[in-house]
Amino acid sequence: MSGGSSSRLSRKHPSGRKAVLATLMLLVAVASAFPLVWMVLSSLKTPAESMQVPPVWIPHTPSLDAYEKVSGVVNVGRSMWNSLVIASITTAGILVTSMMAGYAFAKYRFPAKSLLFSLLIATMFLPPIVTLIPLYRLVGSIGLNASLAGIIVPNLANAFGIFLMRQFIAGVPDDLIDAARMDGASELLILFKIVAPSVAPAIAALALFAFVYHWNSYLWPLTVLQGNADAYPIVISLSRLLSYNRGAVNTGLVMAGATLAVLPPLILFVLLQRFFVDSIVGSAIKG
Amino acid sequence: MIQRYRASAGIMLTPAVTLIGIFILLPMLLTVWLSFQDWSTQTPFSSARFIGFDNFREIFGASSVGRDFKGALTNTAIYTAFSIILILPLSVAFGLMVYQHDVAGGTALRTVLFSTYMVPMIAVALVWSKLYSPSEGPLNQMLGLIGIGPQPFLSSPRSALVSIVLLNAWQQVGYFTVLAIAGLTQIPGSLYEAAKLDGANRFEQFRFITLPLMRRTLLFSAVIAIINAVQVFEPVALITQGGPVGSTNVLTYHIRRVGIERAQGGLGSAMAVTLMLSLIVVVCALFALANRKDQE
Repeated sequence: MSGGSSSRLSRKHPSGRKAVLATLMLLVAVASAFPLVWMVLSSLKTPAESMQVPPVWIPHTPSLDAYEKVSGVVNVGRSMWNSLVIASITTAGILVTSMMAGYAFAKYRFPAKSLLFSLLIATMFLPPIVTLIPLYRLVGSIGLNASLAGIIVPNLANAFGIFLMRQFIAGVPDDLIDAARMDGASELLILFKIVAPSVAPAIAALALFAFVYHWNSYLWPLTVLQGNADAYPIVISLSRLLSYNRGAVNTGLVMAGATLAVLPPLILFVLLQRFFVDSIVGSAIKG
Repeated sequence: MIQRYRASAGIMLTPAVTLIGIFILLPMLLTVWLSFQDWSTQTPFSSARFIGFDNFREIFGASSVGRDFKGALTNTAIYTAFSIILILPLSVAFGLMVYQHDVAGGTALRTVLFSTYMVPMIAVALVWSKLYSPSEGPLNQMLGLIGIGPQPFLSSPRSALVSIVLLNAWQQVGYFTVLAIAGLTQIPGSLYEAAKLDGANRFEQFRFITLPLMRRTLLFSAVIAIINAVQVFEPVALITQGGPVGSTNVLTYHIRRVGIERAQGGLGSAMAVTLMLSLIVVVCALFALANRKDQE
């Protein structure tokens, strides 16, 4: 059996097995990182370098000209601002609604609690396309389509946030909460002054998830905006660049645009990846 | 006291329950209701007219509406199957690479793998449509170096859907790797110690300890992967527009085209209901299968 022989090999040559493993890991990392590295390198090339045959992998004289040219095709400043507004307000809303509902599910007893919880959690597994058509009409009928509010309002609460908050708030000791109640604190004050600080890492994780998810989200903004380019988030504005993707001459321009879209979520991730990973692990194990 | 907290529970739950009720649960019920109506998306809900199962007859019928929908359903099924076959084994393999103590760099590998999950699909589409480019694309240039002729990737109906699966797998595998690592950390190290004493080699340890104890994690991953796969939209909308010759016309893309762009809200809703029911059947079948294995 192949497994047996490789194991025998490993006992004879432990360093050989390690070398194979290290090589494999390096290969996986390179394959995974390659598209993004290639994207950044290409964004720094001049058009002449982009067209060279055989290809130039690393630009000889890195230039930021392509980034300037993106602004000529796409209103980068406006779109980035729209994305920031959409992602920030949506995230703030999700944090507040999730903490409140998560606290209720973790610390209160009330009728039909588990039924309500199951109903909310079920929406987590519902693909957005299932509700898209009536939602589009519904949001239109309350006068919110073609606006940033139309993108934001339907997303101010979600089941994942409630689930995550309930999991972590359940771990906050009841004594802590009861002591504050004895002092006459209101429930909202207890939630935001006592409970929130003790689940701060989970709140950070949820904030990052929500921000990145809504920075990147595409289907709903595209649908609700009905072509109102003034309200386009960056991920929709940049789709104009796809028409520049024929031939090699504009490769730098296209990759500069892609890099601009990647930077904000990727920077957030690099700074705070510990929270991302912990909360995924937490939701998978406890779920 | 109890009475007071019941009032508080109401206050705490109202924002989330109202929002989810209005913007998710109500639209879901409306989708089911609309699937039995003749209704244009450009008109108010009140103009809908009950037509029984006609929408379902049409989307499963022999007309072009039926052909396109059944094509999209098949494409989505193929897409989902390929995604799972590709992502789950890779996520376990990568998870094992990250979660081992023999070679340093596991955490760095996890960071690299997971970072692609943060990348917005527009950037993935822009980069990969270039990587896949038949003439000057880097992938064909690299294949050329090892003596493989140029591949058509996105431009051939035979390979376009698989090419979309590949770019999606590249983006998402890091997320599933993190799930796999979460599963691996749950396996008690003492089991491996005992197996080693019994003379089990690494392959046997993997086959008889790791894999069985990962079943719950893999089930969870499979469910998430299926739900993600039926949602694929951006790469199709951005790169292929469903083509060539309908080979990448997947359900989310097709339903939006019918229900929003062509404003055939009744037909689109019938398609959405079919998607929801298929999803429920598949996920239930998966759980039933896992439970039966558990009992063995």
